[in-house]
Amino acid sequence: METIFIGGLLASAIRIATPLILGALGGLISERAGIFAVGIEGMMLAGAFGASIATFATDSVVAGLAVAILAGMLPAALVAVAVTRFRSDQMVTGLAINVLAFGLTGFLIRGLFDGRPPAIRIALLRPLSVPFLSDLPAVGPILFQQPILTYGAVAFALLLHVFLCRTSMGLALRATGESPEAVFAAGNDPVAIRQVAVLVCGAIAGLGGAVLVLQDVGTFTDGMTGGRGFLALSALIVGRWNPLGTLASCLIFGAASALEVRIQGVDLPVNSYVIQMMPYAIALIVLAGLGRGTRMPQAIGRAYHTG
Amino acid sequence: MFPLEKVGLPTRVSEPDAKKNLLAREHVRNSAAIRSACRAIIAVLLALLVTSIPILLSGKSPSLAYWSLLKGALGSLDNVAFALNKCTPYILTATGVALCFRAGMINIGGEGQIAIGALVASWVALNASGPPFLIVFLALAGGVIAGAVWAGIAAAIRLTRGVHEVLSTLLLNFIGVLVVSAMLNGSMGEEGAGFPQSPLFEDRVLLPKLISGYELHVGFIIALAVAVLAQILLWRTRFGFQLRLLGGSRPAADYAGVSFAAGVMAVMLLGGGLAGLAGAIEVLGVHYRLIEGFSQGFGFTAVAVALLGAADPLVVIPAALFFGFLQAGALAMQREVGVPSSLIFVIQGLSTVFALCAVGLDRRRRV
Repeated sequence: METIFIGGLLASAIRIATPLILGALGGLISERAGIFAVGIEGMMLAGAFGASIATFATDSVVAGLAVAILAGMLPAALVAVAVTRFRSDQMVTGLAINVLAFGLTGFLIRGLFDGRPPAIRIALLRPLSVPFLSDLPAVGPILFQQPILTYGAVAFALLLHVFLCRTSMGLALRATGESPEAVFAAGNDPVAIRQVAVLVCGAIAGLGGAVLVLQDVGTFTDGMTGGRGFLALSALIVGRWNPLGTLASCLIFGAASALEVRIQGVDLPVNSYVIQMMPYAIALIVLAGLGRGTRMPQAIGRAYHTG
Repeated sequence: MFPLEKVGLPTRVSEPDAKKNLLAREHVRNSAAIRSACRAIIAVLLALLVTSIPILLSGKSPSLAYWSLLKGALGSLDNVAFALNKCTPYILTATGVALCFRAGMINIGGEGQIAIGALVASWVALNASGPPFLIVFLALAGGVIAGAVWAGIAAAIRLTRGVHEVLSTLLLNFIGVLVVSAMLNGSMGEEGAGFPQSPLFEDRVLLPKLISGYELHVGFIIALAVAVLAQILLWRTRFGFQLRLLGGSRPAADYAGVSFAAGVMAVMLLGGGLAGLAGAIEVLGVHYRLIEGFSQGFGFTAVAVALLGAADPLVVIPAALFFGFLQAGALAMQREVGVPSSLIFVIQGLSTVFALCAVGLDRRRRV
């Protein structure tokens, strides 16, 4: 009984963490290039909207994912232009994008369907067992019976780690976040790198929103990301801007959410809202604990301009 | 040596020149205010223009939608009173955010500060006994203190641990809103209400109405007074100058002996206090009880308002009126022409982005 409970908890923690992982990794790309990623929430919401509309209309998950990527890139494009061309404040631009995405998705889901949101019901992606590995005792059911996009998100974290640390493009990306002047001197275009990074951030965060729809919820509701983008942002900082650390902190936040879902109905001395608070409280405590040890990318938040 | 006369800087300031400089400075300040007002108007017009695209996409007429939005906000005296009530929390919170902006702090914790302020004000209104005006005063004061403490936590973490205030205030938003939910689903909730809300306050502890027969409460006047006082504080006092110095140039502030820690703490306490006051006024003047989720989105809207208002408390007032009117007219628009009320968030988001771009452009041109 105990082990089943804990096993189920951990398995659902990983599944719940998936949208966070994608959102946070997208944000990581943007922030390592020197652009604050406060707009992840809006990009995820746009992705969720795109995924649910497209999957609803075509019945194809692939189409849903493709549209989610494009939908996530739309707000990202606005951010990219505003912060690089117009040098707007990155933090507040991100916040504005979130409101814009909230309003536009809420408007379109009604406006495009004669004023009433359609009843979207999408069959959730089922867990996919990895042959042999899922039969392993204990860890098998936890790690290797997950929906397909969860495997994808974890794989992406590993790939991103390799990309950032082992390729010259990854080096250029990191350098843009530390010293765009040096990147310029080395013959690269920091503005272009930043724009691409923000667009990629939008695409990945959009996928994160799609995961939320396709694996967890199965429909679109107003503001359905419900702060997950901000949680992803915290995970990225708690993970100290590196993919593996970010993956780990997303899993911890996922575990807190999974715990909250599971103990509803169980009679406990603590209020379920206290459990809901945990991810945010953990993030705040960890951030304060790390203190000045959190070395954020040096040039983050600073607009780059030539002469 | 660099000849100072060549760049138009006086090498020595004589007595009449000093006076002329003062006037010139006043002129620069006024033209800056005019410029930022123009920027805001252009940003809003552009946002309305771009927002017509989704309206057209949904097969409706933008002009009709905007007209019913306007009518919904200002169509009758009742509507105006309702709309001015809507503007009140924006004026208060955005004034606080504007002061923080001036000191170089981005306080996006309005939502949490409002929630906690409202929580404490409600607790006082439900539990205190004594003469009504004293209870109202204590409830408002409790709201101010609670909001200030909530923002003060973020300031303390910033000062002692170096965590950026955007992150800490953001996380504190979620925690603050959940604290309210926990209380409403626990000891403060109304039994059998079916919705997380507190019992109604007694009539005698409610915020008085400004004109009998209309919804408008005295909170609106309080908000206007606060904005005016903040303007004086910012531009006419030593403290205000220190804040602007901190925001303008940290090294200059250090050189002038202005304490960064004291300034940051003071301005965050002020900002949080104003947000807490907004929360207290909202529950005592509009809802008459604490309701789950009543503060949703206020924090961000306040940032947008402060930004459109160019972080100038007096300019914040018209910006807050604009956002409040949008909010007030949205439901009428949805009812009458069938344009979903979410549209106003599109207008808010876009006008913020455009205002930000205009500020960025302006800075770029002058550097």
